[in-house]
Amino acid sequence: MKTIDVDRSLCDNHGQCAIAAPAVFRMNSDGVLEYEETFDDALLDEVEEAVDVCPVQAIFLKD
Amino acid sequence: MSTPAIELPAVPYLDISDPSFAMQSEALRTAREQSWYARTNFGLAVLRYDEVSKLLKSPKLCQGSAKWPAHNGVHGGLFYDWWTKNLLVLEGEDHHRIRRLLNPAFSPRLIKDLVPRFQDLANELIDAFIDQGGCEFIRDFAEPYATRVLTILLGIPESEWPKIARLASTVGLALGVTFKQDLDKVEAAVAELYEYAEELIKDRQANPGVDFVSRLVLASRDGDRLSDEELRNALVLLIFGGMDTTRNQLGLAMQSFIRNPEQWELLARRPDLGGKAVEEVMRTNPTVTWVTREAVEDFEYQGLSIEKGTTVHLFTQSSGTDPRAFPNPELDLLGEHAPHYGFGGGVHHCLGHFVARADMSEALPLLARRLANPHLTGGDEWLPDSGNTGPTRLPIGFTKRA
Ligand code: HEM
Ligand code: SF4
Repeated sequence: MKTIDVDRSLCDNHGQCAIAAPAVFRMNSDGVLEYEETFDDALLDEVEEAVDVCPVQAIFLKD
Repeated sequence: MSTPAIELPAVPYLDISDPSFAMQSEALRTAREQSWYARTNFGLAVLRYDEVSKLLKSPKLCQGSAKWPAHNGVHGGLFYDWWTKNLLVLEGEDHHRIRRLLNPAFSPRLIKDLVPRFQDLANELIDAFIDQGGCEFIRDFAEPYATRVLTILLGIPESEWPKIARLASTVGLALGVTFKQDLDKVEAAVAELYEYAEELIKDRQANPGVDFVSRLVLASRDGDRLSDEELRNALVLLIFGGMDTTRNQLGLAMQSFIRNPEQWELLARRPDLGGKAVEEVMRTNPTVTWVTREAVEDFEYQGLSIEKGTTVHLFTQSSGTDPRAFPNPELDLLGEHAPHYGFGGGVHHCLGHFVARADMSEALPLLARRLANPHLTGGDEWLPDSGNTGPTRLPIGFTKRA
């Protein structure tokens, strides 16, 4: 099972991941990213899409 | 000066529709030292890095360009229908749904495959003028490069680029101060772009391949897909949003390197710095000089009450050279710098940035490798600094490198 690691030193809170995979990533009311490190296998496609679309490429999937 | 807006009651004022208004000016630097924001003749201007960064992603602000046609007395017609239904101005789930369906075609992994074509195109354009020792950089490089990259992406025959460039620029008149006068021309150009887009869509629906437009035609998510109309609107937005921006940004890049010859030499020796060159040019000399937002509700930010409906301009060049975030703000390909907002930010962050970054980071080192000592030879012409800027004519001289 893969887990998500967002490099907070890179993440600029654009929220594109929360558009791509809303079940796993969300922006809080201050506009700051919150996310689950683990996710259901059925969500793998959208999580991979979040990894792809992050403008600063801050999201990493680990085995 | 930690809270200057409170210590100094005199909030700076900027006339942003004055044709001589300059982003890279002492007046603006002074204003930025005085306060994080300025009042303007059209809303607020945010000048510093931290505040631009936060407000760009703030849920209290939405896209400020949605009402542009209405502000100009245009309440219907082809342009109006297209503008008010396109990704750039949609909000919330309407925006996110379309963005989700468009995203996969813009994956950086797919864009990478186009790099050899970008390199061939850059070299072909340079070959045509390299022996003359000079060129008109916009006409001979920036415009054909920016436009043909889009035709490559969309799979339109490259020979049609002059027509596409003309149509995109005509639609661009809609964002200028003479919008109402140009309305007939704009409507005709939108109609023609619609035809192009519809033909492309029909063709790929009949013969889907692995190309970019086929990916859009086949895109689906959770059983949902783009309607033909949504696809058409999106294709026209890509043409509209991708050409003039890239052309202008390449022109500004040349200006930046003419001002910084040692950085040009560095780039010529180190083509691996192409990506850094793009970031540094866009941080210090961006074509999109501000991103416009509008307050969706009354709110308070850093002691300032911002009323619902207030227009807020987030200044890109000013934030990208703010000494608070960039102690050495000058263009420096070897510097480690925070990200710039030349592609906007937040939910409306530029969808085409991987394309623009990939094509410009190939073009700049190839130009540096082949053109030594580029310099202005006079006769350059410029767009005003408000909104989207850049040279429209940039005659340069250079020495062909051995
Ligand atoms: C150097 C070139 C480019 C620059 C400087 C640029 C700049 C920008 C900026 C600042 C925005 C945000 C506007 C806002 O928030 O109000 C934006 C959005 C957008 N750009 Fe670009 N862009 C460039 C190239 C491209 C290309 C090549 C494409 C398409 C292939 C493209 C497609 C788009 C689209 C579709 C949006 C709307 C995204 C949304 O609202 O979700 N851009 N661009
Ligand atoms: S898309 Fe990237 S930068 Fe934006 S919030 Fe997600 S991880 Fe952070």
